[in-house]
Amino acid sequence: METAAALDHRFLIAAYTVTWTLQLGYLAWLGLRWRAEKRAEARRTKAAR
Amino acid sequence: MKKTLISLYAVFTITLMIWGFYQAIYVAPTDAAQGQIFRIIFYHVPSASVAFEFFAVSLLGSVGYLAWRHSRPQWAQVADAWAVAGAEVGVVFCTVVLTTGPLWGRRAWGIWWTWDARLTTTLVLWLIYVSYLLLRRFAAGPQMLTLAAVLGIFGALDVPIVYMSNRWWRTQHPAPVFGGAPGSGMDKSMLGPFLWNMLAWFCWGVFILILRFSVERKHQQNAAAEALEALEANA
Repeated sequence: METAAALDHRFLIAAYTVTWTLQLGYLAWLGLRWRAEKRAEARRTKAAR
Repeated sequence: MKKTLISLYAVFTITLMIWGFYQAIYVAPTDAAQGQIFRIIFYHVPSASVAFEFFAVSLLGSVGYLAWRHSRPQWAQVADAWAVAGAEVGVVFCTVVLTTGPLWGRRAWGIWWTWDARLTTTLVLWLIYVSYLLLRRFAAGPQMLTLAAVLGIFGALDVPIVYMSNRWWRTQHPAPVFGGAPGSGMDKSMLGPFLWNMLAWFCWGVFILILRFSVERKHQQNAAAEALEALEANA
């Protein structure tokens, strides 16, 4: 059976991992959206010429 | 110039995050009562604080949109971009609160969740802003932005209720560490790491808030240009 300290350690790592996964995942999604908007802008500018 | 400033701010924020992590894991002493698990506080509380601040940004943006939508449409567009950026980034931070909280609660209380006032009002806050984002995503028509702004204002009314919930009612969630009953507070050895993490998460939050605002502004500009082109094509 795991000691309380080992379980605390696992839960702490889980909390920090979840936090960074959410934050970096959101940042990546923002990056993809920014790229999509820039591409849409470039397509429109190209079509207007 | 703008890109350089954003890059410098990103480097500053990442440095602060690494410093905050070092403070949380290596500098803050182990809590005598809770052991290592208390270190979740360095992510849980700053995330709640940043979520509240960004829901306030969303509130101001929503009020601005409603105030200017007829008289100053350009200002209203900017206000709306702040409103959606504040709501979306606030939801991300609120999700962090609602996932780190149960992980902490499972070890500290022996349960993942309980329907006490603090936890329930936080979940309701999250649900209101998720519905705000879903409304913006799936509804259409000229009234959509107005409806979203009204929902954003009502959602923000829950923020003071969440903040005061463990002062007004007896809750499973601990009493406030700061600004609570006499004798509440944090030991100096933990206060430094805590404040570093508050600052680091705030700076990180501002960084992604500005990015989200920029994405929304670009989206608005593209949508306006496409609408103009469609009008010109039909004329």
